Amino acid sequence: MNLLQQILNGLVLGHAYALVAIGWTLLLGVARLVNFGHGQMYMLGAFVTWWAVVKAGVPYALALPLAMACGAVLGAAMQRLMLRATFEQNLVSIMIMTLGFGYVIHGAAALVFGSTGQILDTALSRREFALGELWLTGQDLAIVVAAIAVFLGLKWVLDATRVGRLVRMVAEDPKLAQLAGIDVRRVYYGVFAFEGAAVAFAAGMVAPRTPILTSMGFDEVIMTFVVVVFGGIGSVKGSYVAGVALGLFTALFGALVSPAYTTAAAFVVLIALLVLRPGGLGAGSAGGVH
Amino acid sequence: MAGTAWRRWVLLPLAAAVYAAPQALGGSGAVYSAAVLIAIFAVMAYGLDLVVSDLGEVSLAHTVFFAAGSYTTALLATRAGAGGWATLAASLAVAAVLAALIGLVTLRLREFVFSLVTYAVAVVAMTVAANWAFLGGSDGVRGVPLLDLSLPGLPLTARDDRTLWPFAFALLLVTLYVVDRFRHSALGAAAVMTHLNPRLATMSGIDGARVRLQVFLVSAPISAAAGWLYAYQRAYVSADVLESYFLILMLTAVVLVGRRQLLGPLLATALVLVQEKFFSLGGYVDKIVLGSVLVAILAFAPQGLAGLLRPLARARRRPAPPGRQNPG
Repeated sequence: MNLLQQILNGLVLGHAYALVAIGWTLLLGVARLVNFGHGQMYMLGAFVTWWAVVKAGVPYALALPLAMACGAVLGAAMQRLMLRATFEQNLVSIMIMTLGFGYVIHGAAALVFGSTGQILDTALSRREFALGELWLTGQDLAIVVAAIAVFLGLKWVLDATRVGRLVRMVAEDPKLAQLAGIDVRRVYYGVFAFEGAAVAFAAGMVAPRTPILTSMGFDEVIMTFVVVVFGGIGSVKGSYVAGVALGLFTALFGALVSPAYTTAAAFVVLIALLVLRPGGLGAGSAGGVH
Repeated sequence: MAGTAWRRWVLLPLAAAVYAAPQALGGSGAVYSAAVLIAIFAVMAYGLDLVVSDLGEVSLAHTVFFAAGSYTTALLATRAGAGGWATLAASLAVAAVLAALIGLVTLRLREFVFSLVTYAVAVVAMTVAANWAFLGGSDGVRGVPLLDLSLPGLPLTARDDRTLWPFAFALLLVTLYVVDRFRHSALGAAAVMTHLNPRLATMSGIDGARVRLQVFLVSAPISAAAGWLYAYQRAYVSADVLESYFLILMLTAVVLVGRRQLLGPLLATALVLVQEKFFSLGGYVDKIVLGSVLVAILAFAPQGLAGLLRPLARARRRPAPPGRQNPG
């Protein structure tokens, strides 16, 4: 394999990481919610898309919104149960609850979809483009385009619309926002529903690249940690850059060193970053979304 | 809280009753197996209990300490022929070294960043255990010999779950003693103070980072000791000791009954294990049940089951001073 092909793979992988992480970036920036069930929500999104396409015969273009709707409902339901803890900013309870949700989702998905791995083929993933010696699939191109579109769209909503202003106010100071007459509860529901829909969309887009397993949520989430922490907590632009950088790093590491230890390598990067600049990543810096 | 004399009169008969319980419940292999596992998993949970309940941080790396105990034991017993005492000492030492490493790296991280990193530690440990040939790779380590803790002139061995029960029970008692001592020690008080009132702790000259590291160093070997006995109970060890089941079980054990209740994690572990072993609804449904219990208790009764009973108890006795006893 030549280096250029690996860089291309890394760019695609990076956009996939960024796309998977976007919901959590917003969630963390606005509501200071840490979602350890994120990986399982990703898994569920992939399975709902697979089920819709393969079992129910729904076209892929309709399966995606279906998965997103499921994700949004699930996200809102999780937020409902965590509302009290969110208002109290009881992070210990929130973290443990999201782990519990992840475990329930894992058990339910195994019960409904079975524990065997599945493959999701789409028309896009079967089409290949070649540029000289380089090649990539239509799905790869779609991931890059979708990631850029979602990031630009989110940035625009946050910066230029009324909804974005409300969300940023709640992120800055929820108590003050409440005094100003903003329905903070609705913003929290909305942000968590966005997280659910975004991760389901990402799963539907990215899942055709790999086999789908009900157990994949457990380690899938590590890459999201790295993107969210490396990008600067709550930063939309930062997590895009971090996602792409991480994609390049893992593609090159997997090709040049060892594919089995890419997660471990990404983790070492995370640790190195935290040790080098721990001050910038502490709890205090998490206020705000931008 | 009641005085120590009262506790002695209640705890001694209680311990005797617990020890005799498997026999009283029919004494079948399945009952002894469940009893041994309850004791082992409760000990595992007590390690995490100190970090979550006393320090107020969520460590997700305690499955790693549990696994470190299991792997150290399995490797030393099968490849070096080490006996039970040697594997115990090595398990505790390995866990302490790992805890020191993780503790030092995460020393200045707080709250969710600390939890993210410890979660990542657990995931990476799982990839390493499943891929590294030295640890047996995906096959794990098979053929762990029977537990032999014999002293000169005193044979102490275990052949099956029935004969393992006295050892599991003893490990549980030692753990309860250590946890109780910890809560009455200067370190235990300092941990609670850094958790509940960091400013007061700093003014009292308590170094928060140092306290965190010390609590970590006390808690990790407790979970590792559980892993040590688990290796003998199962006779083989593989990467599945790092599965999220153990993490969810530990967390449920810590929060279900109520935090900083000495017998809380034991009771909670017993409830979960009895459901799984005797009233199982199938592996996947059991998962859904366990996860739902964890979510529901935190959503609807953050003080735990004991918190639900507290108003009743309070109504019967003299009015207790108000105050939050189990803040998160």
